[in-house]
Parts: sequence; structure tokens; C-alpha cells
Amino acid sequence: MRSYEYLKPTSLKEALELLGRYGEKAKLVAGGTDLMVQWKKKIISPEYVISLRNVPELSFVTYESDLKIGSATTHRTLELSPIIREHFPILLDAVSNLGSVQVRNSATIGGNICNAAPSADTAPPLLALDAVAHIAGPQGERTMPIAEFFKGPSRTALASGEIVTHFSIPRPSPNTGMAYWKHTRRKAMDLPILGVAVLLSFGQDGKTCAKARISLGVAAPTPMRARKAEAYLEGKEVDRGALDEAGKIAAGEASPRTTIRGSQWYREEMIRVLVRRTGLMCIERAKGAAHG
Amino acid sequence: MRRTIRFTVNGDPVEVEVQPHWPLLRVLRDELELTGAKMGCGEGECGACTVLVDGKPINSCIYPVLEAEGKQVLTIEGLVSSENELHPIQQAFLDKAGVQCGFCTPGMIMSAKALLDMNPNPTEDEVRHALAGNFCRCTGYVQIVESVRHAAELLLKNAKQTGAGE
Amino acid sequence: MAEQFVGKSHPRFDAEKVTGKARFINDIKAPRMLYGKILYSKRPHARITHIDTSKAERLQGVRAVLTGFNTPDVRVGFLGDQIALKRDKVRQFRDEVAAVAAINEEIAEEALELIRVEYEDLPAVFDPIEAMKEGAPLIHEVDARGKPRRNNILPLPWKLEAGDVQKGRSESAFVVKDTFRTTWVHQVCMGTSGCIAEFDVNNNLQFISVTNVPFGGKDRLDMFLRNLGIRGSTRILTPYVGGSFGSKLDTDIYEFIAVLLAWKTKCPVKILFDRLEEFTASPPRQPIIGTVEQGCDKDGRLTFRVVEMILDNGAYTSWGATTPSVMMVPISTLYRVPNISFRATCVYTNNIYAQAMRGYGNPQATYVVEQSMDQLAVEAGIDPIEFRLINANEPNETSPMGLKITTCPMKECLEEVKTRLDWKKKQGKHDGHGVGVACFLHVGGGARVYRSDAQGLILKVDDEGKVTAITGGTDQGQGSETIIRQMVAEATGFRPQDVNIFQGDTEICPWDVGTHASRHAFMVGHAILMAGAQVRAKLLAMASTWMGQLISRNLQKKARQDPDFKIPDVDLSLLSNPENLDISNGQIFLKSDPDNKLLRLPVAQIVRSAHMVGTGRGEMIVAEAFYDPPNEMLNAEGKGNLSCCYTFGAHGVEVQVDQETGQVTILNYVAAHDVGRAINPMLVKGQIYGATIMGAGYGLTEEMQVNAGRVMNPNLLDYKLLTAKDKIPIDPVIVEPIEPSGPFGLKGIGEPACVPAAPAIANAVADAIGVRIKDLPLSPEKVLAAIKGKGR
Repeated sequence: MRSYEYLKPTSLKEALELLGRYGEKAKLVAGGTDLMVQWKKKIISPEYVISLRNVPELSFVTYESDLKIGSATTHRTLELSPIIREHFPILLDAVSNLGSVQVRNSATIGGNICNAAPSADTAPPLLALDAVAHIAGPQGERTMPIAEFFKGPSRTALASGEIVTHFSIPRPSPNTGMAYWKHTRRKAMDLPILGVAVLLSFGQDGKTCAKARISLGVAAPTPMRARKAEAYLEGKEVDRGALDEAGKIAAGEASPRTTIRGSQWYREEMIRVLVRRTGLMCIERAKGAAHG
Repeated sequence: MRRTIRFTVNGDPVEVEVQPHWPLLRVLRDELELTGAKMGCGEGECGACTVLVDGKPINSCIYPVLEAEGKQVLTIEGLVSSENELHPIQQAFLDKAGVQCGFCTPGMIMSAKALLDMNPNPTEDEVRHALAGNFCRCTGYVQIVESVRHAAELLLKNAKQTGAGE
Repeated sequence: MAEQFVGKSHPRFDAEKVTGKARFINDIKAPRMLYGKILYSKRPHARITHIDTSKAERLQGVRAVLTGFNTPDVRVGFLGDQIALKRDKVRQFRDEVAAVAAINEEIAEEALELIRVEYEDLPAVFDPIEAMKEGAPLIHEVDARGKPRRNNILPLPWKLEAGDVQKGRSESAFVVKDTFRTTWVHQVCMGTSGCIAEFDVNNNLQFISVTNVPFGGKDRLDMFLRNLGIRGSTRILTPYVGGSFGSKLDTDIYEFIAVLLAWKTKCPVKILFDRLEEFTASPPRQPIIGTVEQGCDKDGRLTFRVVEMILDNGAYTSWGATTPSVMMVPISTLYRVPNISFRATCVYTNNIYAQAMRGYGNPQATYVVEQSMDQLAVEAGIDPIEFRLINANEPNETSPMGLKITTCPMKECLEEVKTRLDWKKKQGKHDGHGVGVACFLHVGGGARVYRSDAQGLILKVDDEGKVTAITGGTDQGQGSETIIRQMVAEATGFRPQDVNIFQGDTEICPWDVGTHASRHAFMVGHAILMAGAQVRAKLLAMASTWMGQLISRNLQKKARQDPDFKIPDVDLSLLSNPENLDISNGQIFLKSDPDNKLLRLPVAQIVRSAHMVGTGRGEMIVAEAFYDPPNEMLNAEGKGNLSCCYTFGAHGVEVQVDQETGQVTILNYVAAHDVGRAINPMLVKGQIYGATIMGAGYGLTEEMQVNAGRVMNPNLLDYKLLTAKDKIPIDPVIVEPIEPSGPFGLKGIGEPACVPAAPAIANAVADAIGVRIKDLPLSPEKVLAAIKGKGR
């Protein structure tokens, strides 16, 4: 009978050992929300499933010099985290509308990122936040900017035997606004037709854009940054007109496809519109942050 | 590959022999004969299988049973009191017609329970946010939302009465 | 007489459902039960050249492997156009090619994977218009009788002509003509389909079924058994059913397959669909292409209406092909139109085939007519609501189709929409903000689609003082378990909590046509009034025999026990005349002295006395009723008074359209409904809310994406049911004109709110953006494309 062995390491060390021992025969899961479905459909047939649910050192949120999020932290934990609510609204936007409460109680940020789906809701925010993935493996630890992590649909830069332990996110400068917009057919239980994350940091004058980040989900084979659009905004006084232009540039950088969830022309159109709108939200939020 | 695991269901310790690939729902329904939680999709989309694990709602159709080891599982069958009295949320679903065909109801009530445990007096938007993962095809959700808010009132009233009696 | 229970928002009697004790088909097991699984076609149109089941048969735990090659050639379905397991060829992706019964689900699934089917592809056709053309691939080469077929058009020429369309056209000052399309939508019951079939030693079939037509299902299965040469008959048992919405009207192919497997194995066999099968192998509502032309005179009075409908029937025929009989209702009678022409053509294609869904053709027809009404209003320069008021149906009229309208508050409903939406201020701006309206009528007092439209009922009073209502109806969530109790209590003089309901067993329950066409409350209500009156009469007669002596004995006993008690001076002989007695709350009392506790007895005591009286003299209280309403079957011309009454209403919608994304937000929604009389206003609202949201899904988000015959989105992620977060602020307005033909004045309300939602939303969107989208659903993409293409 088709089955697998289900392993529950309780430390990172043990997880790495198991992963090293079973290699290609093993499937690493965090929340495991996709495991049963993919296994039933025979998309995956591992001999060993290594669950990271019981590794406490992978599940945490701290905010000191920077924000650190353990890879096995559930979306629900992030949704309820006062740190995220207060300081990282862009992540709250993403994690509070991903699946259902039930899904968010299982699904983790590491799982969302490591599945490397173009539609991963947490990917655009992490890209916009210049997150760094911390990776442990047989060779020891290494770090990688999240922008280099996605290699294709369902493909990442992880080598065999490696585990993402956490993400670190630099503390945003004052006068920063950040937002993620998930464009969907219905208000919950949906994947984005398009996901747009924007982060804008303003200089002393509160107008000149010191740093711009624009990242997109479902706009290319992997979550992507619209670097030309970012460059266009940096150093400028950002207003509606500038954001409009940035949206056009971003649409030019993207390469969305037509799928049953949306067609190419519509996605391109939405990049134009939603980059501007999300940018405007950032301006509003930056004001709020400055006053707050 | 069979393994024996122990956990608690509705306060009762259980010991079951399971296959590692089984979801919790299968064990609840087929091994423990707790058929209240329903299989509506098997993919974590519909919420009919919602139960609470250590107080948190999860889709038991995709929750690996081995993860339940040592944990407290609460199902719809665990809400009725030992005197066979309905839980206020259950009563509210009857009073306000939050139930029609009843297939989504056990999962819906468990999601409501998790919400009210955390937030005893939720707004309509908070109720709708908490129940978004439970599909219902009959009610259009309006009377479900009314039921949950009515349940909150009943629970707060009960809490006050208990408080006053102490 | 003031009613005590009817008209009240009584809580639901549904404790089983909220405690997880209600047993759905999913929850039922039988000893030695096997699990049946079905192998579906991998091709949309192909000849089956070979099936190799040998490996599957050898798999440990497999008890039967059936194909069209080892089962009898027995035709099933409304037109007999298919056999349960396909032999000659497959005509759609959902064609059942083989079936397995095994000791558990995993083994059954594994066995399916071991079956090898070889196909020889045939040219396929997926577009009904292409399929009608000469030379199109024939889906069926012969009909059920073996006669060669020349084309793909079904032999169901739906047609209705009334008045003189030519004359109407010549009298018209304004005429519009346009074509609209709808797509497949699915009932998406939360409980998936399933059944358990089992034969006893006398070859009788016990069939646990989610049907809402138990006796119709029994007839079909009995015929199936006869054609298989099995000399037995069917007993249908229905468990709790997780929703129907039309999907459980016909006996589906998996059910026949379960019977074949049970017969082969002589074990109980359960087939339970998973969600994928539910989406791909259970028949949805079919798409239509509807062309409508209508005109009005210079004052805005409708002069004629011509509607041509093309229905994509899919590869086989179920009740989907009969929905034009209900499409006729709005096409002929929604508003006063003197001259009518309607034609519907059902066309075979290699797509999935269709069933009934809430509204039974009415949603498609009303969508088409109500879009055209707005177009004509614009043409005539009249406000859409005023235009509808000019043409609104009136009470006590007979329509060109022969529908006899009794009560009709359509104008009231329109006025409600107008006032509550502040219509005048908001209409006609085309600035992204818009309002829209659509009316409907639907059968409200049954629908005589068979020779009988009857429901049987038995009421039985026991010596605990409980009444059991044994009905032929079923409940799939609408709330009959509550309103039957309210109505029985009202009719008999008991309390709702004293009423028990027994239903869902064809062996015991009296005959019923089925719980469809929004007819259940209407039919069972009448049967309750008839049987309830008998129960009262019998009980009062019984009481008149017993009350005098029982009370006299009670008084003497009391006097013995309590020396201070003096037997009052009462005339006990009054109690021996039934006319002096009455029943309320399960107590029988003297009408002239209703508050006298000494002269009142619980029914239980009287019935017990009557049971225990001794050989040859005992009595029991059982009453029966068989209510068959005075409605008419449609004649050969498609005319007749289909229903005892018709229910009317208007939905008004206010939308905000995001002109950059095409997203539609519903700001306000008024659902004004004529319900005759609300037996339980809370439950009536439940039907309005639920059906409106289903209809709004039809308008905005729901569609089965079918590409070359294959369902591309067979899951709840990509088939977009609305969630709790997709709030639509529905304002349900219940108008109660008290229907004289209805029991307690009621009309049926199960389906109607599903009918006008999509057209009302479409009209509001057209008002908001100034351009009309002519197919459903109104996805953001379509809306944005329409906005961008406006000037072109």
C-alpha cells in the first residue's frame, strides 16, 4: 500500500540530519497544507515526509535591530502578531487574506516562499522589504537576498539538504509607507489574479522618494521586482502622476500569462492601475506612520 | 507502516492505530466514528471538516493525523454538555436559522467557537473574516452571521450570570 | 381566528444538525458494505475499441469490475439516450466507462488505475450552433428505439405562440432585438452526491438516496430492475441531504451503477462522489443563447415578444432539456405582453450534460427578458422602473400562456425598490455608479409537470399526546421540519414541539410527486389542513365519549384525597357533545369555559383511554390526506394554468463599478418578494438571502469554465462561490398579499430569489458604465473590456 513515513524532528539539527540521510526520498513540509492534496493526486510520492511543525527554533517573530521571522511561523501567528500589526502592515495585508483562518493556522511563511508559486502572497512583501533568507544546510549556514531565491515556478535556490531557517528584514527608515494589494475575484479563499507590493521611503522633506520597492506576484514565472519602475521613482517627488508612470514601466517589465484565473492583457492593465493605487496607499500610510 | 498514537478528543484520551498518510478527519470519522466533521472537498477549501486542535481551527481533511499526537482535539460532538444541553452557539444557530441543509454547520460552528473564544464580542466584519473559510451554499451567510453574534450575546450573558453568582 | 403558530419566526427544529448527529449519506455504513468507484472517459468523443479489466479483477479486495461489455444493454434517462456503462462510444469526458466495487476506497481507486481503455477518436463538436449545422459530427447515430438520427437537435420542439406577433410588431413604436448568453453554473451542494444500494434475498432493492423525488426515483429504479430482468422492487430511504438546488431531481448514472454493482456482488455498495466528481460528473445548469425581440407602443405598452433559445444540452438528456417548459412562464407572462412567440431548441454536443437548477430555466429566461426590457425602456425614453410599472402584471388576469394570476403585488415590489434605493436620484448617470432592477414571476402553487401534482400525508396521534406527520416529501435544508410542525400544530391544536415528522421511506410514507418547483410548503400545507381537520374532528368525538367519565372520576378522586375539596356544580353532560369542545396546546376543553382547569384534559389521557377500552371497542386516531391541486398540465400548444398561483417580486441593485479594474461592488440590494403569507418569516428570509446570493454568484463570479468539453475549474478554489466575506447588503422585503389558493395563504418561495438577481445586477452595471455586457458572469475582465471598448 502506498504510504510514507512521517518524521517529526524536534530540532533543526535533527531535521537537517534526516534531510541529509533521506535526500531525494524525503519531502520537507512545514504546515503541510499542500502535502495531502498533492500526495493524493500523485503529484508527489515521497518515502519520507519531514515535518517542521515541531521545531520550536523555526517558529518565532522578533523585532530588535531587524525583524526576524522563523520559517515555520504560521500565517495566523503573523496575522495576530502585534509586531507585524504595528510595524509591517505590508505583511499583515498579505497574511491576513491568505486562505482561511484554518489554512493560516497550518500554513507557514517558509512554506509559502519555498513552494515558489508565482502567486505566493508573502513573496511580493518580502521582496519589497529586502528580506534575506537564512539557510542552514550540510555546509553550514548561508544567507541570500530573497530577490535571488526564486528560480522558476516551484524552483528555488535551495540546494539539496538545505532548510530555510528564517527571514530577516531590515528595520524600515522613518517616513516609510508599505502596502500589499491582492487583486481577486472574491474577498477571501482566493489566489491573486495579481499581487502588488509597494514600499516607499521618503527623505527628510517627506516628499522625495529615497527608496522605492515595487514587487509583483503572478506577473512572471516567479515573484518579481520591477526594478526599472523602482529606479524611476527614486529621487523623485512621488505623486499620482509619477506612480502612474511607474505602473506603466512595471507593466513593461512583467511578463504575465493567460490562465483560467485571468488573461495577459488584464493582468498587464492591472499592474498599471494597482501599482499606482498601492503606491498611493503607501503615501497615506507613510503620513500615518510619521504622525504616529 | 501503521503507528499507534495517543491524543485527546473532546476531553477523552484515545489511542488509535493509524497510517502516516491519513488526515485527522479520516481518523475522527472512520476510526473514532465521530462523523460530525464532514468531508466536503478534501483539499482544505470548504471548511466542512473544521475542528479545533489545541483551540485553533484547522481543516482536518488535510491535517496529518500524526501531528495531533499529544494534542487536544475538539469536535462538534464535544460541544454538547454532559447533561445533553446544547452549547449556546448551537442554540443560536437554531434560534437565528444559521442552519439550513446542515452539511457545513459543524465546521461553521467550530470556526465560530474559535472566534468567540478569542474575541467574545466580534463585529460583523470580524465574524465574516473568521468564517470566510467555511462555505455555505444555502444561507447566503446572513443568518449565520446573525447566529454567531447572537451566540456572543448568549455567552456574555451566561458569563455575567456565572460571575454574579460567585 | 388568530393563528397561534403560523406567521411566527419559530426557531428551527434542527438539533441533530448542530450537534453533528444528523446522518448524511457520507456518514452511513452497512455491514459488508463495498465501495464503488467509476472510471470516466479520457476523451470527449471516441469509439471504445477495447477495455482490459483483467489486472483490476485480480487485485486483492476487488469484488466486481463492470463495463458496458459485461452488463445488460439497458437504456436510462429521460429520453433513454444512454446506458449506465458506455459500450459503443463515449460522448463526453464524464462518460462512465467502467466501475469497480472493492472492500475499501483505496483498493477501488487502485483498481480503476489498472483498467486499460483504448479509444479511437471521433470528431467532436462543442458549440451548439456548430452542432446544428449540416455535416456536424453526430453525437447519437440512433435514438433510443434504434431509429437513425439525422442531426443533433433533440426531439423536443418547445414552442409557444399566442396572439399575433406580426400585428404586435406593426403596432410598435419602438422595437429592440438582441442576443444574450449564459454559461454553465453548478449547484455545488456542500454535501456531495452519493447512494447505497443493497438487495435482499427476495431481490428487492433497498436504496439509500439523496433524491428529493423518492417516488419518481423508485419508479425509475423499478423500471431499471425490470429491464435487467430482476424480479424485485425498490424501497428508497433518504437520509439528511446536504443541499439539492435541482441536482437531486433525476436519478443519476452513478445510482444505476451502484445498483449494477450491488446486484453483481449481492453486497451493499456505496458510491460517494468526491468534489472533483461532483464538479465533473454531476449535471449543472446549461448555457443558453437567447435572442429576444420585443416592442412597445409610444406609451410604453408592450406589443409583442419573440424569444428564441438555443440550449446546449450536452451529450445526454436529463431534466435540463425540459427547462423550456418553465422558461415559457416568464417569456409569456413576465409583464403584460399580448403577442408572444417562443421557440427553444436543445442541441446535443460533446459537452457535459445538464440538469435542473434552482429556478428551472427561469433564471436564464428572466435574464434575457429583463436585459431586453431595459434596452426597450431606453429606446422608448422611459425610466426602467416606470416602464415596468406601465407593463406590470395585475391580480386576477389570465396571461397569453393561460396562467391565471390570482394575487400579484408586482407594482408594490417595484415601488419598494424605487423608494428604498432612492432610484430617481441614482439612475441614468453612467458615472460608475448605477442602479438596476429586474422583476420575476415563478410558480408559487405547484407545477403540474406530471399527471399528478399531489402530496400524501398521514397524521397519527399517539397516547403520549404527540402527533406524527408522515409525509412523502423530503427536506434538503429549506426548513420543512420547522414549518410542517408549525402548520400541523395550527391545524390540529397541538404545540409545534408535540409534532414529529417521519419522511424519506417509500415503503411507509404516502405518495408524493417530489420536493421540487417550490411546491413543498404549498402541497404539504394543504394536506395538513385536510388531515388536520380530520384529526380534530376525530379527537373531539373521542373526547366527547371519554371526557365526562374521566373528569368525573378525577373529581371524585380529588375529593377522596382532599376532604376540603368540594366537587363543583358543573354540567358534565356538556362534555358529551363534540361541538362544545375545542383543542389547543394539546389540551381538550369546554369552549364555553376555556379557563376551567377542572374541565380540561390532555389529549394523551383521552387517546390512552380509547386505546385501552377492551376487545372490539378501541379506537385510534389516524387521518390521511391526498392533496392534488387544481392546476393544469400544459397542453400540446404549451398552454395551461401550470400552477395554482404565481409568486412575483422585484430585485433592485445599486452598484459601484471600479472603472479601472472592472470590479463590481454591490452597495445596496433590495429583494422585494411576494410570499403570499410567511409561515415562518425568519425561514422565508433565509430562502431569500440564500437564493439571492446564489443568483448574485450567477451574475458576478460563478462559471464552469469548459474548454473543448473539459471542465477546467473543478474545485472550490477556481469555481468562485461567494464567501462570508463577500457581503452583499440584502434588504429582504416581504410582501404578504395572502394567497386564497394557498394553505394559510402561502406561496412557494424556495426558488424565486435566485431568478432576478443576475439580470438586476447586469442592468445596474449597464446603468453604471453606459454599456451592456451580454453574457454572464460579469467578471472584472469583461466589465473592463466593455468600458474600454465603449467608444468603438
